[in-house]
Amino acid sequence: MTAALRLDGVSFSYGVVQVLADVSLVLAPGERVALLGRNGAGKSTLVRLVTGLARPAAGTVWVGDWDTRDHSPDVLARRVGSVFQHADQQLFARTLEDDVAFGPRALGFERSDVAGRVARALDALELGAQAREHPYDLPPALRKLAALAGALALEPALLVLDEPTAGLDRALRARVTRALLERAGRAGAGGGGAALLVITHDLTFAAELLDRALVLDRGRLACDESLAGLLGAAARLETLGLLRPPVAELSTALDLPGRPIRAADAARVLARVAGGRADP
Amino acid sequence: MTRLILERVTFRYPATEAPALEDVSLEVKGGEVVALVGSVGAGASTLLLVAGDLAPRVVGGRLEGRVSFDGDGPRAIVLPTPWTQLSGMAFTVWDEVAFGPANLGLPRDEISRQVDQAVVRLDLEALTSRDPTTLSGGELQRVIVAGILAMRPALLLLDEPTAELDPVGARTLWKLVRTLAGEGTAIVVATSELDALPAITDRVVWLERGRVAATGPAALLASDALVVANMGTTVAAVWRAAGLPAPYPLTVAHAAQRWERR
Repeated sequence: MTAALRLDGVSFSYGVVQVLADVSLVLAPGERVALLGRNGAGKSTLVRLVTGLARPAAGTVWVGDWDTRDHSPDVLARRVGSVFQHADQQLFARTLEDDVAFGPRALGFERSDVAGRVARALDALELGAQAREHPYDLPPALRKLAALAGALALEPALLVLDEPTAGLDRALRARVTRALLERAGRAGAGGGGAALLVITHDLTFAAELLDRALVLDRGRLACDESLAGLLGAAARLETLGLLRPPVAELSTALDLPGRPIRAADAARVLARVAGGRADP
Repeated sequence: MTRLILERVTFRYPATEAPALEDVSLEVKGGEVVALVGSVGAGASTLLLVAGDLAPRVVGGRLEGRVSFDGDGPRAIVLPTPWTQLSGMAFTVWDEVAFGPANLGLPRDEISRQVDQAVVRLDLEALTSRDPTTLSGGELQRVIVAGILAMRPALLLLDEPTAELDPVGARTLWKLVRTLAGEGTAIVVATSELDALPAITDRVVWLERGRVAATGPAALLASDALVVANMGTTVAAVWRAAGLPAPYPLTVAHAAQRWERR
């Protein structure tokens, strides 16, 4: 099977500042992957390379079987849906649904197909009630969801999201989590769902949605392993600029079996272990 | 003595009927950290704009009630969109941080002192000669906070100040908030990082649809009402979801103590 994304020895510099050095990685279809690391580690630059907004100085970025050097960003958008850190800058139409329709229209899908894609994207993010509103009448947090809906409407094989939960409250984060889990196709990664590559500093959100962690450290890929494994290693986390999120910390402090990292799993295990005691 | 007072404040943005804030009263003194929590659109950002004298003065709109501020320094706000706060007048991070105090007309060596201190506090030493427009989102957020601190504000208003920071950077910022309060700064912070609050805040104000729904010590974040509303700490939420009885533990440390005694 063709990988959703493959980087072979990719390097990139801004002038004399080297931002990425010899990064290689592979994402299979339906994989849900966190891209972690300190501020300035090169995460957003990696997104620019994957979406074709920048070209690697060395190495190759493959989106499916396309070399990003051979395709312009608008063509790559057939396969990569992206949301940037400052998503406000991605909205411009008069109504939310028009805005979400822009991508699929620009890619030349049939009118009825566009309508279906827009409806599915708005539905996934529970934005149906706001479909006719002007994007800038929405609060900033919902504008962020609107930009994400635009990426979902492309129904791409790869979704690349830069800090999708910044500025969202917990209820909206849960909404984003549900929508993305649905797109990735929950069980059986590789089952044709979208691969997710998500930059986030919000490790609580990461634990709910993602199961593999890539960590960049000064432009190099410092780690590629299961997210649960990484969150279990407190000392190593800290050397990478990361901290254990509360659920993982709670699991460790209480020595919960299986060391769950998701809130619902931790609650279930806690209930079982506490089993019937009035005040554990 | 620094003191911010909002008395029965109602605020409407231009061309809107529904108030963004309704009948809000709040008093913050120097040395205090007050956290505003609430869902998106509940009014926390608006409250900061009102407290910072940006609403209605800059953004327009109508204000009823009374806002007063006393302090031996300016009041300053860190917006949730740090890239909009760059001066555009500086070619290096050091000059960007100096922009605020320079505009206050401080003497040159005083500016230097304040900038150097702010640079150290935000861990920006390695970036001082960089062009601000080449920074990552999180680096930029730290530069903006440093520029604000260099003005020695008596009242510091922070709107999602850690949104772009990596976890270690966020922890550094939260510690700094406590340090500044210790030096007498009054601080009001709006954040969705509820788990950071028990360690730093003296008081929590829960806003719902522009109104103050509840106010109390950090322990409020483990109360049934806030946990049900998705505004409690993660530990309190897990405890409740497990069907364990209230009172819920606020932090991992509380949970561990509780667990030992079981």
